[in-house]
Amino acid sequence: MPATDNQGSFLNRISIRRNQVVSMDGNHEQELEDLELFQKHVADRFADLLSQSEDTLGDGLLSISWLRKLLDVFLCCEAEYKAILLLGRDPSQISKPPLDKLVPEFHDRVVKALDVCNAVSHAVETVRHYQKLAEIAVTALEQRPIGDGQVRRAKKALNSLMILLEEKEGSNHKLTERAWSFGRRSANATTSSSKDRATSASQFRSLSWSMSRGWSAAKQIQAMSSNLVAPRGGESSSPALPVYIMSTITVFVMWALVAAIPCQERNGLLTHLPVPKQLGWAHSIIALQEKIAEEWKRKKEKNRLAGLLEETQRIEKLGVSLIEFADSFQFPPDADRLEEVAVQVAELGETCKKMDEGLMPLQQQIREVFHRIVRSRTEVLDLLDQGGKVTAPIM
Amino acid sequence: MEPPEDKRTPLDEAEGIILRWDSTASEEARDKMIFDSDRNEVDRYLQAVDEIQRSLSSATINSNDERSSRSSNSDESSLNSTIQIAMARLEDEFRNILLSHTAPLETESISLGSDPSSSTHSHGQVDDHEDEGSVHDQGLNLNLNLSLKLAQQREERDEAEGEGGDSVADGASSSRSSYRSTSSIREIDLVPSDAIYDLRCIAERMIAAGYLRECIQVYGSVRKSAVDASFRRLGIEKLSIGDVQRLEWDQLEAKIRRWIHAAKVCVRVLFASEKKLCEQIFENLGTDIDDACFVETVKGPAIQLFNLFEAISISRRSPEKLFKILDLHDALMVLIPDIDIVFEAKTSESIRIQAAEILSRLAEAARGILSEFENAVLREPSRVPVPGGTIHPLTRYVMNYISLISDYKQTLIELIVSKPATGTRYGSDPTTPDMEFADELEGKTPLALHLIWVIVILQFNLDGKSKHYKDTSLAHLFMMNNVHYIVQKVKGSPELREMIGDDYLKKLTGKFRQAATNYQRATWVRVLYCLRDEGLHVSGSFSSGVSKSALRERFKSFNAMFEDVHRNQATWLVPDAQLREELRISISEKLLPAYRSFLGRFRAHIESGKHPENYIKYSVDDLETAVLDFFEGYPVSQHIRRRSSS
Repeated sequence: MPATDNQGSFLNRISIRRNQVVSMDGNHEQELEDLELFQKHVADRFADLLSQSEDTLGDGLLSISWLRKLLDVFLCCEAEYKAILLLGRDPSQISKPPLDKLVPEFHDRVVKALDVCNAVSHAVETVRHYQKLAEIAVTALEQRPIGDGQVRRAKKALNSLMILLEEKEGSNHKLTERAWSFGRRSANATTSSSKDRATSASQFRSLSWSMSRGWSAAKQIQAMSSNLVAPRGGESSSPALPVYIMSTITVFVMWALVAAIPCQERNGLLTHLPVPKQLGWAHSIIALQEKIAEEWKRKKEKNRLAGLLEETQRIEKLGVSLIEFADSFQFPPDADRLEEVAVQVAELGETCKKMDEGLMPLQQQIREVFHRIVRSRTEVLDLLDQGGKVTAPIM
Repeated sequence: MEPPEDKRTPLDEAEGIILRWDSTASEEARDKMIFDSDRNEVDRYLQAVDEIQRSLSSATINSNDERSSRSSNSDESSLNSTIQIAMARLEDEFRNILLSHTAPLETESISLGSDPSSSTHSHGQVDDHEDEGSVHDQGLNLNLNLSLKLAQQREERDEAEGEGGDSVADGASSSRSSYRSTSSIREIDLVPSDAIYDLRCIAERMIAAGYLRECIQVYGSVRKSAVDASFRRLGIEKLSIGDVQRLEWDQLEAKIRRWIHAAKVCVRVLFASEKKLCEQIFENLGTDIDDACFVETVKGPAIQLFNLFEAISISRRSPEKLFKILDLHDALMVLIPDIDIVFEAKTSESIRIQAAEILSRLAEAARGILSEFENAVLREPSRVPVPGGTIHPLTRYVMNYISLISDYKQTLIELIVSKPATGTRYGSDPTTPDMEFADELEGKTPLALHLIWVIVILQFNLDGKSKHYKDTSLAHLFMMNNVHYIVQKVKGSPELREMIGDDYLKKLTGKFRQAATNYQRATWVRVLYCLRDEGLHVSGSFSSGVSKSALRERFKSFNAMFEDVHRNQATWLVPDAQLREELRISISEKLLPAYRSFLGRFRAHIESGKHPENYIKYSVDDLETAVLDFFEGYPVSQHIRRRSSS
């Protein structure tokens, strides 16, 4: 039988680890430097986003292209974060304070983020639905000469669009018959009644939810941010800081996505994320957060659920104006008015084109974020696995 | 340009028909559906649409040819208005026909060979027959029901495997079914052919008039809710990753079984049939319109389904999940060729990609769990010794586990591609055992190496546990029992035996034999020492040369020791009958001849003195009988019975 006189093996291991940690102290300076650099990069990247948010040509705050840039920033920060957290770090450090608490908290947070990614990715389909309806209006109104037929066709599509856009949170069945002003059938009609259509429209919404009943994006964000506390004192230079920074970025990015894309249950979405203002790297994040929150509050007064996506808002604005045009349309049309409309239709067409080109890549990028989060989580778990907590629950 | 007089009539007539069915205009038009009325009316209406469409396209050509006059402009506008009315009407008709054929899939009639709810077979050969089921160790968080469950899983798996070549016939209960023989895909006609004909007639006209988008919108919205209804019927839920993480494993297991079944039905029947429907209605009406409609309908549901699989792969790794994850993996892997067929279009590429990603994620989860399992075996912390030195629950658990692994050999050989991270990594770390990849292990698959490694670390852990016995004899007996059990389990499973290999098995056999020898030494050397000659002969005395008092002491201490050993070791356990027998024989073979000869040499000295019964308490037969009490696990209440005859 092999000699196994090492009953104190656990203590033994600890002391081995400790020695390794001590030997790593030489790297401590390097670590601080990396951390410094990480903060600078985070600050720079979000400053870029802040300046792009001023764009007035349609690629500004919460536009598809801005969101895609935001996700890029997330991916960059995440890669750097992972390097700082894992490279050259002894695995056992992750199972010791403060990381033993922070890393699992972080993992809870990112699993919630995964669900947000799925919900948002799903909800992009809703936005694509807006786009399809707007495209019908563009097709109809682009035709020359323009007549009753085209105008009615456009109006029908735009009315359906407005119903989707105006739908209020939690009131899926309050569809008015107004949208079906054309081709409307009384409710007692044989099979295809307006009720059917109303149901199918509200069904469209409920189908677009991907989560269980009761799952709420707003609550998810709330839960992600609830235990988000900035490290204090001695901890602020320790590995606690990168975890905190990445947590903040994750919460912010998910929050922005939820605000922009009409995903499941956004009632009570936070308008303030708890990020202390004195932190240098967080300045731009805070500024962006305030801008988005302001938009959100403004929009919320109207109780719309369509989301703050720039393209959606533009579609809505143009849609309202074009419905006005359609309502007052008389043949033959007034040439000046027609010119005005042509400009709006062109803008609507342009917006649809942006959506057509941007939504799919956006969806793919959300998926990429999802993958990245899963991969990082797995890597940390593997590391913990090797580091091995003796007290780990067994089977 | 005025249209000629004779051409005016059919056009006017056509306009008349369309306006008559303008639902904004008349009550009757609002309440009735054209396609519900007689066929002539349907044909008349469709011809009218064609007529308008024809005039409209020629008008467009004319207006392109020459600077259009105000009047032709106005005519065209009127035609446009008419066609718009017709299209709105056709859109409603299209929706109505679709809606009247949205009954969810009759999943009961679609048997894909195995119904997960009806597995009532009973064979539990995985179970330990010797397991009394009462071994419960508080230090272990072991689920002893696990082996039962594992047995059940194996059953299901057998069924699932048998499914590959199942007959197509049992799915053919519906007369509307049709199959492709080349794959497991079984399309069903979701909509009867006459309705498909109508839908195609409408779609054709909507597309010709440039109303393709409306057509896709209506199609997608109706079919999507039909797919959703089928999903509910199949028991596919909308669950977030968070939900899945919060579920108890028992609940999740049941769900996984359902999801695997549902995934097969979805890919092979539901999605395939949706695809066929799209083709039936839209094929050749324009470029990739059928694909567009198909993706519009099933993309969301397909991703929802795959997300469930993915959520499992992300959930916390724990050993009991391995086999269900492998089931999921295998189910998905078998489905991938069908997924590739159903989602062959460029537009559904993302679905194909996602399925492949999830497959690899499940594989990764399986690998992660195996290494997690190895760690768990290494670190299983219970310190309370099992009474009687019998088989530790950990040993049972681990061996049942790896014999199940060997059942999943086919999959795991492909998934497990790297050798185990053995102790060498930590060098001198005394908390992990060493395993040298000697010649005997050459040519083994990484999976086999992992299994051997698991056995190595199991023994390592057991060695540690054996140190908690105060009695070293019992510690050896414990090791003997456990390693013997390991050997028996390996021999009992042909797959496992093949992977572990006879060389390593020989090593293990040697190990438990060594433990048996160690036990005998630890217990019996002391006892037999009482029966030695040395120290009994008194030097200087020539009379007999034997010291009576020393001899009496010898007998007394032998009796005491034997009684002590007997009392103790009767409560110890060797659960394997054969091993128990062999061990007793081996004890008897040493003990009885030694006692017999000692007795032969010195009995006379005792019997010539007073109270010989105080010193010679046992006959050889008494001892032989007493040895039979050993390792039965029961306390012996009476003292060893004295020889009753004489």
